[in-house]
Amino acid sequence: MNKYLFLALALTGLACGCQKQAPREIVRLATTTSVRDTCLLDMLNETFERDGKYTLQAIAVGSGQAMQLGRTGEADILWVHSPDDEAKFVEEGYGTGRVTFLHNDFVILGPAADPAGVKGAKKAADAFKKIAAAGAQFISRADQSGTHKKELKLWAAAGIKPAGVFYLEAGQGMAGTLSIAEEKKAYVLADRSTYLSMAKNLKLVIVNEGDEALINRYSLILANPAKFPKVNAAGARAYFDFVLSKPVKETIEKFGVEKYGQQLFFYDYEPK
Amino acid sequence: MEFIFEGFRKAVQLILSGNPEIFAIARLSLTVSLAATALAVLAGVPLGSWIAVKKFPFKKLLIAMVNTGMGLPPVVAGLVVMLFLARSGPLGFLNWLYTPKGMIIAQFIIALPIITALSISAMQNVDPKFYNQILALGASDRQAVWVCLKEIRLTMVAAVIAGFGRLVAEVGAVMIVGGNIRHQTRMLTTATVMETQMGNFDMAIAIGLVLLAVGFIVNLALTLIQQNKVLAR
Amino acid sequence: MIKLSGLRLAFDTGFSLAVDSLKVREGEVFAIIGPNGAGKTTLLNAMAMLNRPAAGNLEIMGRDALASANKLPLRRAMAAVFSQPYLINDTVFNNVALPLKLRGRVDAAAVEEALELFRITHLRDRNAKTLSQGESHRAALARAFVTRPKLLLLDEPFASLDERVKESVIQDLRKVIKISGAAVVLVTQDQAGALTLADTLAVLVGGRILQQGEPQEIFSRPASKEVADFVGVETILSGRVSANSENLCSVEAGGHTLMAVSACAAGDSVFFCLRPEDISVSRNADAGGRRNNFKAKVTGVAPWGLQYKVELDCGFTAQAAVTKQLVDGLGLKPGAEVYASFKATAAHLIKRNL
Repeated sequence: MNKYLFLALALTGLACGCQKQAPREIVRLATTTSVRDTCLLDMLNETFERDGKYTLQAIAVGSGQAMQLGRTGEADILWVHSPDDEAKFVEEGYGTGRVTFLHNDFVILGPAADPAGVKGAKKAADAFKKIAAAGAQFISRADQSGTHKKELKLWAAAGIKPAGVFYLEAGQGMAGTLSIAEEKKAYVLADRSTYLSMAKNLKLVIVNEGDEALINRYSLILANPAKFPKVNAAGARAYFDFVLSKPVKETIEKFGVEKYGQQLFFYDYEPK
Repeated sequence: MEFIFEGFRKAVQLILSGNPEIFAIARLSLTVSLAATALAVLAGVPLGSWIAVKKFPFKKLLIAMVNTGMGLPPVVAGLVVMLFLARSGPLGFLNWLYTPKGMIIAQFIIALPIITALSISAMQNVDPKFYNQILALGASDRQAVWVCLKEIRLTMVAAVIAGFGRLVAEVGAVMIVGGNIRHQTRMLTTATVMETQMGNFDMAIAIGLVLLAVGFIVNLALTLIQQNKVLAR
Repeated sequence: MIKLSGLRLAFDTGFSLAVDSLKVREGEVFAIIGPNGAGKTTLLNAMAMLNRPAAGNLEIMGRDALASANKLPLRRAMAAVFSQPYLINDTVFNNVALPLKLRGRVDAAAVEEALELFRITHLRDRNAKTLSQGESHRAALARAFVTRPKLLLLDEPFASLDERVKESVIQDLRKVIKISGAAVVLVTQDQAGALTLADTLAVLVGGRILQQGEPQEIFSRPASKEVADFVGVETILSGRVSANSENLCSVEAGGHTLMAVSACAAGDSVFFCLRPEDISVSRNADAGGRRNNFKAKVTGVAPWGLQYKVELDCGFTAQAAVTKQLVDGLGLKPGAEVYASFKATAAHLIKRNL
């Protein structure tokens, strides 16, 4: 009897000990799938954790869900890209110190054959009009994420309420949604960085880009410690300062140049 | 069709090259599921034996509830655990959300009804006269239960195999409670989902193969233990 | 050793056990016999503290056996063997050692001794599941004895054994009981076994003890018709005592006047009981001074164990036990004319309640 007991306890002990050695403080970052799927997040976080003070728990969900985590005090810091929601978030007192520091752009992807004739449309909203008119299959993130919100804004600009057989709501992150679009040879709105990181697996091509409306801005927001005493305010601040630092600026601007031949993220903030 | 072969070929390459990330993920999956199974056995076997042997009101109802628990959907267990472990939840002070400890708790809750129900069933198959005989030789209730458990140890090992198999294969609970965080809570199952969604099929297949291997090896080891006990007789 | 009073146990099936008084003395062998379903196992289980009586007192070795605090210490001072050996899946040695292990003791010498007493030392390393019937029953008995219990409860321990094996096991058990001086409560349907082993006998029928006492007493002087039926009194006649002269009773039964030695008074309605062994069959009228002689016609001859049972029509039906030699010698077959005789002292009267 005793040897079984010992074995069982040993395994449990092993499991509990399988975390990092020294007890580190946890900083919880709620961010978007687009930031994770480009692998930018992995790279930055390795650097952040190297000094050994904090363990970064990076939860990659849509911006909507990230801000929801912020609303319940579950996250210490947010890195999201949904400007209207962000403003509301700060206004309602859930977040502080919002800095819009990064941008890339969205692109509209579609099958090479381009059945809706989107190529050549000047504005993104026009492209959407054409897709709806042709009844061509379109996949939406449909997850309250920043990408989703941008997509809805474009539909609104086009004066269309997207519904019907042609409009499919995936309810997933960027990578998952792209996979579905690829499979169904459908049109989809994606951020360029995620597209580039998945391009080798995709036959979809860029059918529309460059419109001012397609600019995608990322912000860092600190959870308001006054409202949520349980958050790790110091840790959040540390990450905040880390991302908004000169070395990280350089790292981010260099990101992707070698691999994809172009810069993926554009830094808009001047670190002190 | 070729992309499947291609994916398979690349997967084998990834495994043979000893890709450290895959093996770290495998190690975590094994540790979490084995620990949860061990805890479920420590709790479930005595609990199940007691329920089987003792007489008390509403015994049949309790056994029915335990049996129903066997079918508890893992995602539901994960959701409940997440709500409890969240910072704003009752157990938030533990800071176990998005950690392996949290995942072990969730998997423990999934495995517990399975192990308990199978223990109840195994003990109920013991002839009550046998149990009485052991008591009549000077055993306390606890000692008599232990002797009976040793008599049915083959069935108990089968229960452990069933429990572990269920845990190593589930994805919902560990996704919700763990968050699939790289280097921290990424398990074989959640990694497979992620790589598949990202279209990295070679990686996904590689991880899938390792998952199959892990399940197979552990079950083989447990089966050998079980059959050895048979052969040694 | 055991004092039982007012014990009541009831079951959903409608069966109930009611024992008003039962005493087992130290060092004695107390046998409980009765037909199937009489409640013998229930009674034994009550003594082993394996069921909960609805009412009554049970005192074992001077302590209240119904108090839960006493259960384990009392269990540790006694041992039980049931009709199946219920050995564990392990070597014979480990099986016999189990009671010691349960008490936290290690005593290889005691185990070896127990194996010796029941002559199974050569089986010590065999797996218990591979033993023959007789061997496994011996192992179960050895296991019960290894702690030298003061009280031993046996529930039909020889029931499933065949004759030759049964004989051998009973002999070993008898020897061991004598050596150990333990009190033994033995439940059995085997009346011959009970006769051999028991100091005191209780007849349990329908959940009630009908008679308790020395075995010989009960067999030759059953207290009631049920007991008589059960213990093998084959000839039972209804009648009336017509006269009693110095305890020699004349009984009008079966169309004849039969003589029996009894304290029954004239006018009593009685059952006239005779065991088959007590009736002699001969060619001529008995000259041996038996008070009861009757002309009889043989109506049936059947094998009965190692003897024969001869059914006789003496005006009343009687069963006599005779040897094979006698059957051949007298040419006993249906229709033969013979004489049946029995002593007045062999006959037994049971008062009838009308």
